[in-house]
Amino acid sequence: MTAVDLQELTAMALEEIARADSLDRLDEVRLRYLGRRDGLVTLAGQRLRELAPEQRAAFGQEFNRASGQLRSALETRQRELASGEAQLREDAEWVDMSHPFREADQGHSHPVTGLIREIEDIFAFLGYQSVGGPELEDDQHNFQLLNMPPEHPARDSHDTFYLSPPAGGWLYRTHTSPVQMRAMLGSPPPLRIIVPGKVARRDNPDPTHTPVFHQVEGLCVDHGVTLGDLKGTLEYAIRALFGRDRRVRLRASFFPYTEPSLEADVACAVCQGAGCRTCLQKGWIEILGSGMVHPQVLRNGGVDPETYSGFAFGMGPDRIAVLRYGLTDLRDLYENDLRLLECF
Amino acid sequence: MRVSHEWLGEMVDLEGLEPAQVADLLTLSGTEVEKVTPFGVGLDQVVVGEVVGLRRVEGSDHLFLAHVATPGLEPQGVVCGADNLFVGALVPWARPGTRLPIGAEIGRKRLRGIWSEGMLCAPDELGLGSDHDGVLILSPEDAEVGMALDMVYPADHLYELEVLSNRADCLSHWGVARELSALLSRPLRDPEAVRPARSASTPAVQVTVASSVDCPVYLAEVLTGFSNTPAPAFVRRRLAAIGQRSLGGIVDLANYVMFEIGQPLHTFDLDRLPSRGAELPVGVRRGRDGESISCLDGVARQLDPETLVITVGDAPQAVAGLIGGEASAVGQETGRVLLEAANFNWARLRSTSRRLRLRTEASARFERQLSPHLARRGADRFVHLAVRHLGAKLGPGAEGGAPLAPAAAIRCDPVRISSILGMELGPEAVASPLRRLQFEVRQEGGEMLATPSPYRTDVTSAVDLAEEVGRIIGYGEVPGTLPAIRQPPPLEALAEPVARLTSAACRAAGFSEALSLSLVSGERERLAPRLVGDLAHLELANPLSMQLGSLRQGLLQGLLQSAHHNQARGQDRIRLFEQGAAFWARGQERPEEPWMLAALDLADDSAEEGATRLRRLMALIASLSSVGGGGAVEFRPVTWPALHRARAAEVWAGAQRRGIVGEVAQPVTDLFDVRGRVEVAELRLDGWLKPGGRPGHAPPLPRTPALVLDLSVTVPSRALLGPALRAVAALELPELELVTPLDEYLGDQLGPGVKGWTLRLRLRHPERTLTAAEGDRARQAVLRALEVEVGAKPR
Ligand SMILES: [Zn+2]
Repeated sequence: MTAVDLQELTAMALEEIARADSLDRLDEVRLRYLGRRDGLVTLAGQRLRELAPEQRAAFGQEFNRASGQLRSALETRQRELASGEAQLREDAEWVDMSHPFREADQGHSHPVTGLIREIEDIFAFLGYQSVGGPELEDDQHNFQLLNMPPEHPARDSHDTFYLSPPAGGWLYRTHTSPVQMRAMLGSPPPLRIIVPGKVARRDNPDPTHTPVFHQVEGLCVDHGVTLGDLKGTLEYAIRALFGRDRRVRLRASFFPYTEPSLEADVACAVCQGAGCRTCLQKGWIEILGSGMVHPQVLRNGGVDPETYSGFAFGMGPDRIAVLRYGLTDLRDLYENDLRLLECF
Repeated sequence: MRVSHEWLGEMVDLEGLEPAQVADLLTLSGTEVEKVTPFGVGLDQVVVGEVVGLRRVEGSDHLFLAHVATPGLEPQGVVCGADNLFVGALVPWARPGTRLPIGAEIGRKRLRGIWSEGMLCAPDELGLGSDHDGVLILSPEDAEVGMALDMVYPADHLYELEVLSNRADCLSHWGVARELSALLSRPLRDPEAVRPARSASTPAVQVTVASSVDCPVYLAEVLTGFSNTPAPAFVRRRLAAIGQRSLGGIVDLANYVMFEIGQPLHTFDLDRLPSRGAELPVGVRRGRDGESISCLDGVARQLDPETLVITVGDAPQAVAGLIGGEASAVGQETGRVLLEAANFNWARLRSTSRRLRLRTEASARFERQLSPHLARRGADRFVHLAVRHLGAKLGPGAEGGAPLAPAAAIRCDPVRISSILGMELGPEAVASPLRRLQFEVRQEGGEMLATPSPYRTDVTSAVDLAEEVGRIIGYGEVPGTLPAIRQPPPLEALAEPVARLTSAACRAAGFSEALSLSLVSGERERLAPRLVGDLAHLELANPLSMQLGSLRQGLLQGLLQSAHHNQARGQDRIRLFEQGAAFWARGQERPEEPWMLAALDLADDSAEEGATRLRRLMALIASLSSVGGGGAVEFRPVTWPALHRARAAEVWAGAQRRGIVGEVAQPVTDLFDVRGRVEVAELRLDGWLKPGGRPGHAPPLPRTPALVLDLSVTVPSRALLGPALRAVAALELPELELVTPLDEYLGDQLGPGVKGWTLRLRLRHPERTLTAAEGDRARQAVLRALEVEVGAKPR
């Protein structure tokens, strides 16, 4: 065996490696040439001892080169064959990756509670805590403490559901404002609360009325709170809800529990203020009522109006949802049609 | 209320202002303009013609041919369908080529073989209101043949106003003009009211007011010399513009003054009142039981001690402030009247109006706390107009009630007002808008005092003044700021509310959020599964309908209804949840308002698939308790009304029952008209789950390997896994980290009445690797516990 023989042997092996078409064949080739006991190249290496010392160095070098070359060729070929086999297996595990999906199998928020959460978050950013209160109230909290004695004309717009005896002393709150009273009576100022919840008025269901609906009430009582603060707060909240560029206007109004009283309108999104059916040709859509808490209401809540002042506001998330999402009928909000819910 | 631009213009200069600008000013200052409509705009092409001939069109049962004349023109034939024409009538004639304000172009038309030269117009065709009952007949006092119609009806615009409930003063043209005068800084021209000298001293009028609380002021004036003269043209035109029918000169004038000044007036025919010689004793008192009065509208009304009446010689003649009596009504032949200008207690009138189910223009004004100072103004204005235009003479008069208190001065501190509004305003900036509103502002002892206009009953305190200043300056001028936060908000505000935690968990499990009205039919809800059990419903005293007559006791009735709605619209898998208050009666006590969560999963599938969905729902309940910090839950099989006999359980946590879960019984799904299997749960969350959810706590995580053993046993086929695993937990084996039920199978090879369980035990020692022997000991212990609890045998 000479270095030349070894080269020929290597060439043969390389050719067989290239020809091997499976990992099993390749292993046979490996054993034939590099098998530990009787591999042809291995055996050639054992001949080293038989060589004259002066030949040994050259042959040894050649042997190392040849076996290195074979090993690397085997490794390369093995990788090639392995990936080919993996491909075959993977091909057998085919998945239709064009399958269309709309979204994960997950439930959806109701547009109104979604909106309430959004309003809560906007006000949380301004330091307001979200609190709740009872939905059944007495006349005292729903009306009298809010400057609406019996026969007060403002009660006209609060057509009230009363309970039958023996629970005849209770009514379904007509607004979330009684929670203002409870909050003031419950803890001293400063107060910054937001009160989402259900209210009821005796309106027959139609596209713009449901007898039960939601309100979000807000109250801020502290030293030196001004109407300017109310305006800044409302403008921030309304822009957060309706978009940065939406025009907002404040209009003088009347509520027995606030003085001065204001209503806020946003420009109609349908007609941009020109007047259309949605806004009843007004160009503006009323979205909330507000004002500086009436000094008597503060006193009724145990707050000294000489020391503190405050503002309050109330908005209807149902109506805002209708405006924002382009619904046409408030009653749709309470039918829970999945085709609608899945949009949120 | 409807207000005419032209009429307002008489009291405040509106020169150079478009109606839309006027509307904006009013709206922003609180008197919302809902609509602006042109009235009589573009009538210059329509002429006044006289009907000189009239006959039926042959072969038609409803068409007439009128011959209409104008000066210098042969009478022309106009075919017309209205039946109110007569020879001599003055009518608006749109000749061929005329363009009407409503947009129609009038031509020459052939009808039934007759040429019609244009048309005779009804009010609505001329943009003069909505009346389409016939051709507009013009009165010879107003119109002359040949005149352009815009001479009779000058162009006007009408504002439909939504007057705030505390602003009775704005229920008149004068009041609205007062607002515009302040907003525009233009002078207010008060309607003329010159009181003439009294011309006679009989009859001697006396007014007796029983209570000046019921009736603060009652003015009675006798006027004589009427002779069925119609009210002047401007009065009738303006009344027509605001939609009031003409009812004869006297009544028209009284109405006119009400819409102009705001003071309701009543006129009695003096000669139809029960006279007592030369005496006319007028009284204001409460009605008596058994008394009744026949009213102007032909309705007889029972009186009672809650109702205020006007009497003459003690006989009721009118329901005060609401409606007059038929007997003393003014008519064509009325020559003498008793004029009433009074003020009645607003609360009394409100309750009377509600009791009698009657609301009139007068009562609508009194109810809103009309100023008693207006009465004099109204009486004088009527007298002025009646004398000038109807040839009346002022006779005797009398007053009743209490002396009117002048409006009280209010301390008007510019610093206080600035601090309410949040803008720096000096004394002049505060005083100017108030003066423009006809308030009297003066300095006294270094203080500024403001006395409101006597017609403003709503301004009584410093905050009211601030509102007046703010709305007249315009809230657009107030700079928007944010209130300073000087103290940190309460830390509780940071905790995630329970409703949010649970909502997220339900949505993650595939349930969508529903909202239902809190009003139900109690009868129907009693058919649905309910956590509350057997409790009478809270009923509404004044429901809209029986369907919405009770307060809900739970949320499942609503979800079943929504399930029906969705199924009817083609959904086959319906998963909904709702959170909200339910209402549980406690007699006279404040009703309980538990905060509930209900979930529903509906599909039309097999018993086995239903069971799978039921188990997922139970897993969701466990998740809810977990995320809400409510601890481990335990399901206790029960039979429950409206639920499947063998698929119902109570949900327990922390030694309290928190809810129910199960499959709705088939007869109940039939009642709610849904197909398929409905898995439901209803939970009461308050007192169980906590804001912020479970407190995070991470135990040390041992690095030693776990020993995992599977244990297969056979148990009786109705053996319960819950108690079995609780028995294993009760062993408190220190190394037993977790027991997972891997599999439950029923199979013939196990024999009858028997099923197999495979449980996976995960054991671990914190410091060392467990030996096989230790694992085996644990397995034996578990097996013994299972044997004792459910009769398990190894397999
Ligand atoms: Zn619009």
